[in-house]
Amino acid sequence: MVTTAVPPTGSTSSRTGRNRPGGHPPGRRLRLRNTFIGWTFILPNFIGFAVLTLGPVLALFYLGFTSWNAFGQAEWVGVENFRGLLTDATFHRALLNTGYYAVLHIPLTLAASLGLALLLNTKLRGVAFFRTVAFFPYITSIVAIAVVWNMLFSPDAGVINQFLTFLGVDDPPGWTTSTDWSMPAVVIVGTWRYMGYYMLLFLAGLQAIPPELYEAARVDGANAIQRFWNVTVPGLRPTTFFITVMLTIESFKVFDLILVMTNGGPGISTLVLSQYIYRKGFEEHDFGYASSVAIVLFGICIVVTVVQFLINKRRER
Amino acid sequence: MKRSYLTATATAAAAALVLTACGGGDDQGEGGQDGASGAVTVSLAGWSLDTTPEFQVLADAFHEQNPDVTIDLVEYSADDYDTQMIADLSAGSAPDLYVMKNLKNFFTYEDGGQLVDVSDVAGQLGDEVSGVDAYTVDGATFAIPYRQDAWYLYYNKDLFDQAGVDYPDGSWTWDDYADAAEELTTGLDESNVYGTYQHEWQSTVQGFANAQSPGADLLSGQWDYMVPFYERAVDLQDEGTQLDYGSITTNSVSYQSQFGTQKTAMMVMGSWYVATLLAQVDSGEADEFAWGFAPAPQLDSSTVEEPITFADPTGIGINPAADDDVVAAAKEFLAFIGSEDAASALAEIGITPAVTNDTVAETYFGIDGMPTDGVSRFAFSTHDVRPENPVDANTAALQNILEDAHSAIMSGSVSPADGIDEAEQRAAAEVLG
Amino acid sequence: MTTLSLDRRPAQTARLRQRTVGRTVLYVVMIAAAVAIMIPFVWMVVSSLKTNNQVFTIPIQWIPDPVVWQNYVDIWAKSDMVTWVKNTLLLSVGVTFLQVLTGSFAAYGFAKMRFPGRDVLFLAYVGTIAVPWQAYMIPQFILLSKAGLSNTLWAMLALQTFSAFGVFLMKQYYESIPDELSEAARIDGLSEYGIWRRIVLPLSGPAVATLVLLTFVNTWNDYLGPLIYLRDRDIWTIQIGLQSFVSQYNAEYALIMTGSVLSVVPIALIFLLGQRFFVQGIATAGMKG
Repeated sequence: MVTTAVPPTGSTSSRTGRNRPGGHPPGRRLRLRNTFIGWTFILPNFIGFAVLTLGPVLALFYLGFTSWNAFGQAEWVGVENFRGLLTDATFHRALLNTGYYAVLHIPLTLAASLGLALLLNTKLRGVAFFRTVAFFPYITSIVAIAVVWNMLFSPDAGVINQFLTFLGVDDPPGWTTSTDWSMPAVVIVGTWRYMGYYMLLFLAGLQAIPPELYEAARVDGANAIQRFWNVTVPGLRPTTFFITVMLTIESFKVFDLILVMTNGGPGISTLVLSQYIYRKGFEEHDFGYASSVAIVLFGICIVVTVVQFLINKRRER
Repeated sequence: MKRSYLTATATAAAAALVLTACGGGDDQGEGGQDGASGAVTVSLAGWSLDTTPEFQVLADAFHEQNPDVTIDLVEYSADDYDTQMIADLSAGSAPDLYVMKNLKNFFTYEDGGQLVDVSDVAGQLGDEVSGVDAYTVDGATFAIPYRQDAWYLYYNKDLFDQAGVDYPDGSWTWDDYADAAEELTTGLDESNVYGTYQHEWQSTVQGFANAQSPGADLLSGQWDYMVPFYERAVDLQDEGTQLDYGSITTNSVSYQSQFGTQKTAMMVMGSWYVATLLAQVDSGEADEFAWGFAPAPQLDSSTVEEPITFADPTGIGINPAADDDVVAAAKEFLAFIGSEDAASALAEIGITPAVTNDTVAETYFGIDGMPTDGVSRFAFSTHDVRPENPVDANTAALQNILEDAHSAIMSGSVSPADGIDEAEQRAAAEVLG
Repeated sequence: MTTLSLDRRPAQTARLRQRTVGRTVLYVVMIAAAVAIMIPFVWMVVSSLKTNNQVFTIPIQWIPDPVVWQNYVDIWAKSDMVTWVKNTLLLSVGVTFLQVLTGSFAAYGFAKMRFPGRDVLFLAYVGTIAVPWQAYMIPQFILLSKAGLSNTLWAMLALQTFSAFGVFLMKQYYESIPDELSEAARIDGLSEYGIWRRIVLPLSGPAVATLVLLTFVNTWNDYLGPLIYLRDRDIWTIQIGLQSFVSQYNAEYALIMTGSVLSVVPIALIFLLGQRFFVQGIATAGMKG
């Protein structure tokens, strides 16, 4: 349904790479040559990546099966840490909270950032100013953000509740001081903070759509909504895929925002996995257990990413 | 520029590979011998050096007595001191001497084999040094305390006079405190001043509950004794006698400005605030008013002779990665910080040292602007300070659970009894089970 | 579908008027939204012009009285702002340059070349994004310390340059560039490196601009990295400097906010300049109708 209205110019349909160099009748030498050239492209980045990131990450996978207090030798304990996770109610709560945050944060941010990108991808006067404004939350110091938003959320004197009372809400929520409302409050701030960031990525993606496609669609008589669904959405697919993957992972990894906004409270109503990892590691000095939580978090992200990857592959066809 | 970056990074990456492959294990402290003269430089970790003069004071006073040994300060972050220190110790790049900010992390450092046994130094110290026991595990001592804070009740004499309430006389129980807080709130109604202020930290409730309740044991996971302490705190904020927890957290309220700018007539707070308040009055950030500090309120009148309060000692230990001659010099330094000389030097800048004999007290109360009334003096020299954190593998995890309970109860999300009950269940299932 | 485009002319005058009204409404909405979005920053600026005791008041006081410009003088004397900015700038420029260079180069290998193990390798890149940094920062710190890099700016440079993010971003963008272009170039005898350099890279302006901006901002605002790796005062970055400032002068809120405002200004300027790269292609074509 999605691609039918796009005139078959052929330029975008080959995205999956049917015409790649490897698509020629596969001579062995050619394949060897491609492998060699491919590696020369990847190597400068890969060496640094392998040593500085991949190595430590692999170490983490080992540590998840050990008991380690950051000093001296880690002691192999097998799956004991993971068995502990099965009955750890606080971990389950953190998992649930993380999911709660992600489920609210991902669609909201996606909608807000795409909306902003479409709105600001124009030649309106002052568009540079508005783009900068949208990006400002991302560059403003997180400490200042926490201070101001907490004040805005203040149950009695806060601007938000004063406004809600003005609108006739009798019993406005307690936001960051209430176990029920603290997570929605954090999600609001999270969306506000990251929408400019993802807007930027969408803006870049929008530039990659050839103008001729819009021209052609207009000639075919497609209205703005049809053009959006039939040209913009398919054209943005690589970008959207990238953004959903990044946004999902970043949502599951949410850390500093929670730390400064609520520190997991009240109670453990906003405790998330990353924070639990930090607590277990740096506060309770159980780096083995912390690593096992990180492995679970990694597993969740990978499963979700692979699903997104498969969906993306299917849509591309 | 671009080339040099690239080559340097590539070289560094390659070097890292080689070094880890060889398992390079040269753990070395940063100090060392300076030539053949016998002069030794010992490095010491501190934080916020510009505004925390205690480390420099100790280093200078020691160097004066031992010209051969120079103490070099290494700056750490005040807020993330332990995170940085764990990383440095783990990688073998920590200084020769480092400070135990609290007892929660002392356990990790000791248990992880990151502290030299300094029992010989502890054996030479006088009996007056408080807090040594906290650093003693199975008969061996691993750090020497140089300061021993204690929680007091600060009060604003001007506001008490204005409300017509009697000053604390050193015999107050928590009930007396609550009554006074109510009276003050009513008496100061017009000027919009609260009777008392309780900061958002868990220590303000749990520290006293753990120290004063008979049979209280944080490690037991049975915390029913905390319930009455919480009920009192919740009542005080519900009736508007103290600023409520939600307002404090959402408005980033600082305790320094609450007491320093006379928004509250009383406040329980640690002894470190004395020096801060004096400095802020000097700089004009705090108002000038008559104030004093009294022993913290007690559970009942049976302990008023030697009031029970709490706070962890602050001590210094030696990094085992240090060279032998550095360790020898570091031990001399540790012996010094437990001495009366060091205590006097610290008292001069308003720090509560581990030694609080009459000479030290004389120095302390000689500071310009310090209250000199009898109750303040009594609070300084006579008290039974219990450590806030027992030295145990479970302490950090239990304190985290209790911190969650604190925010849940004080924000009004659960009743004190239910909140403590939940915390006990978590402790039993996740830590003690 | 096709009938719609036939009779456009009669409706044009009405549509023009409609558009003027629409545009005005749009501006009003956008300005309102801008103000709402900027509130925390506005508060920062306002607070930086107050005395310390006026910063936290209930309710918020939006107009400082008196206006204390002195904070913007004092901050230079009370902190090492100049050193912090210099270090952070050095680091941000270095990291951004290397990240874009190596990232876009590697992305070409992943997007346009086909060889065995490519997808597994790429999955390894993306996979590491899913691991929270605080979980593996100790092993990483031990590694870099053994290499003698801890407490140097090199450590930060090494750490932030090779992020998987840049590779991922550039790869996704390259995939939207039609393969016919590189195919044609290949027939013309251009090598793969030549195609990357002459065809693909010049076409990915918006993506490079995005990567530059995001890498720059992330390096500029990174706190945990410098916290773990940097000890000496003379190599502190702006975030760690500000944080130490907060704990040193914990009651000097006005000065702290002054520092925060100053730390945002350079990136805001860079963004304002960099966002110009997002007005090609669709931007011109999309609005004509």
